[in-house]
Order: sequence, then structure tokens, then C-alpha cells
Amino acid sequence: MKHILVIDDAATVRLYHRNILETAGYSVSEAINGIEALEKALVKSYDLYVVDVNMPKLDGYGFLKEFRRHEDITQAPAIMVSTEAGTHDKALGYAAGANLYLTKPIKPNELLSYTRLLLGDVA
Amino acid sequence: MAIVKNQTPHIQCVNHDERIAERDFEGLVEELNSDNPTERRWAVRDLTKMPEASSTLVARLKFEDDASVRAAILNALAHLGDNVAIAGLVSCLRSEDAALRNEAIEVLKEAPEGVEPIINNLLNDADSDVRIFAVNILESLRHNNVEQWLINVIEKDPHVNVCATALDLLSEVGTEHSIPALKQLKIRFVSEPYIGFSVDLALKRIEEGSH
Repeated sequence: MKHILVIDDAATVRLYHRNILETAGYSVSEAINGIEALEKALVKSYDLYVVDVNMPKLDGYGFLKEFRRHEDITQAPAIMVSTEAGTHDKALGYAAGANLYLTKPIKPNELLSYTRLLLGDVA
Repeated sequence: MAIVKNQTPHIQCVNHDERIAERDFEGLVEELNSDNPTERRWAVRDLTKMPEASSTLVARLKFEDDASVRAAILNALAHLGDNVAIAGLVSCLRSEDAALRNEAIEVLKEAPEGVEPIINNLLNDADSDVRIFAVNILESLRHNNVEQWLINVIEKDPHVNVCATALDLLSEVGTEHSIPALKQLKIRFVSEPYIGFSVDLALKRIEEGSH
């Protein structure tokens, strides 16, 4: 079973993403900010990271930049999700190392389609 | 073979005795522009005791690139807490730098007296991102009016993500008083699955909490 790390400071958002992904057969773990996500990601390799942008302690950009410095785990794809839809925000996300930038609120089919695409689970 | 000079790295040390020596405002402002981050940090700490320092610290914040000095300035502004200091912190909410925005939010959460007079303006800002950050500030703001501010947001704000952010917080702090506004929000954003999910969750938590 593929394992996804959902990183968001909002408990409701984490639960929403968890429900969507678990219903589709994925295993999900959570982190509440970039620091906790780094601690988890450097101990265990996940297949995909769903990363919020604005979080206390370490934001999504900071997490991805640091995460991508570790060559052994840089291959795992990351979806950045944010309330900010500007071109500048997206450019920052991709520069930090995101494979995809989605704007909240995400619809279940949208999250699942991109998850399957990035994980090679497309039928 | 080339001769390599043994160069001693140029390290500026801050003598503790120098720092505690009496220093006037002008001297500290000059030190705030030092190349040495340690000196700048000490200057910020000493300026925190001077009520006239807010505008100087706000000006420095705009181009300070050392994270520890920046954190010191943000905390100093929260400590000073006057109109200039709070306005300087609020201006960070409009920054393109996500780290600076988030640091400012965390500091403003700890300054309820300074935030209270301006929170309505922030919650009605033309920029939806600033309104979202204003809701984020309410998260830890110990103020009796937090629930009512959040209810006002979900009743009136036209932007789905501003409402969604307020909804996340109402899930934690909402009481029965929020129920009508929550039900109305679900109707207003009927095509957004996340809003429906969050409203149901908030209603469940409120009902469980009332029993």
C-alpha cells in the first residue's frame, strides 16, 4: 500500500485529505507543520507528499527546499496546496521543489486524479 | 607551487561589556545597520526598551535578511505594541515572503491588545489573503469576541477560502451560537465539497460538546 504524508496546520484539512486518500486505498500519515514533516520524512520514505504553504514554524516552501536537499528521498513527488492562486505563488512552489501546485479548496476527484497520476496508478 | 597566505578569518566579536555599556538611541540605530548579525540582534534587544524605536525597527525589517535578527525585530515590535509597531507587523502580512508572513502571524497572535482595534479592518481588507491571515491570527488570540468575529466572516465574506479558514477555527472554538451561520454557509457554498465536509464536522463537534 502506498503511503502519503499530508502536511497542514489545519486539522480539518488534514482529515479531509486523509478521508479522500484512504477511501481510495492509500495509507496516510499527518504532520502539522514543516518541521514535523521533515522529522517524519527523514526517518521514513513516503510515496507522495501533500504540502500546505502557510504553516507556523516552517512553511511549505521551507519544507520542500530542505526536503529536496536530501538526494536519497528527492524522487518522491510533492503536491503543494495553497489558498494563494497567484502566478508568483505557483512559481515559488515549483522553485521549492513541488511537482504540482493546486489551489484550495480541492475537490476530491481533483486530488485523487493528480495523486494517481503522480504515483503512476493510472489505469 | 603557489604560496598560500594563512589568512585569519575576519570575525567581529561583540564584547558583552560593550553591549551593556550605556548606549543611546542614535548609537543603537547605527549598530542596527552593522554587517554583523550578532551586533544587530543586540541592538534590537536594547531598542526594545525605547518607545521611539518602532519606526526604526519597522524600516529595518523590510530588508533584514538574517532570520534570527528578523525574529528579534518581530518580537520587539510585539513588545513595543504601539500603533507604528502593530502597523509594521500587519504590513508583513502583505509580504511575498511566506516565512515573514507566518512569523508575523505568530507574533500578532500574542498581542491581543494591539490586534483588537485593527482586527475588523483586517477581516474586511480588500485582499483575501490578508483576510485569511487575519483569521489565522484569531486562532490563538485570547479574546471574548473571537467566535463572533468568525461568525461574521462565514456569514458575509464572499471568498471561499476565507470562509474555509474561519470554518476550521470555528470547528475548535464554535458553540451553539455558531450553528445557524454554519448551516447557512453550507448552503451558500453548496458546490464546494470541502465546505460541506467542514461544516458537518463543526456541527458534530459542537453538538458533542453541548452534551
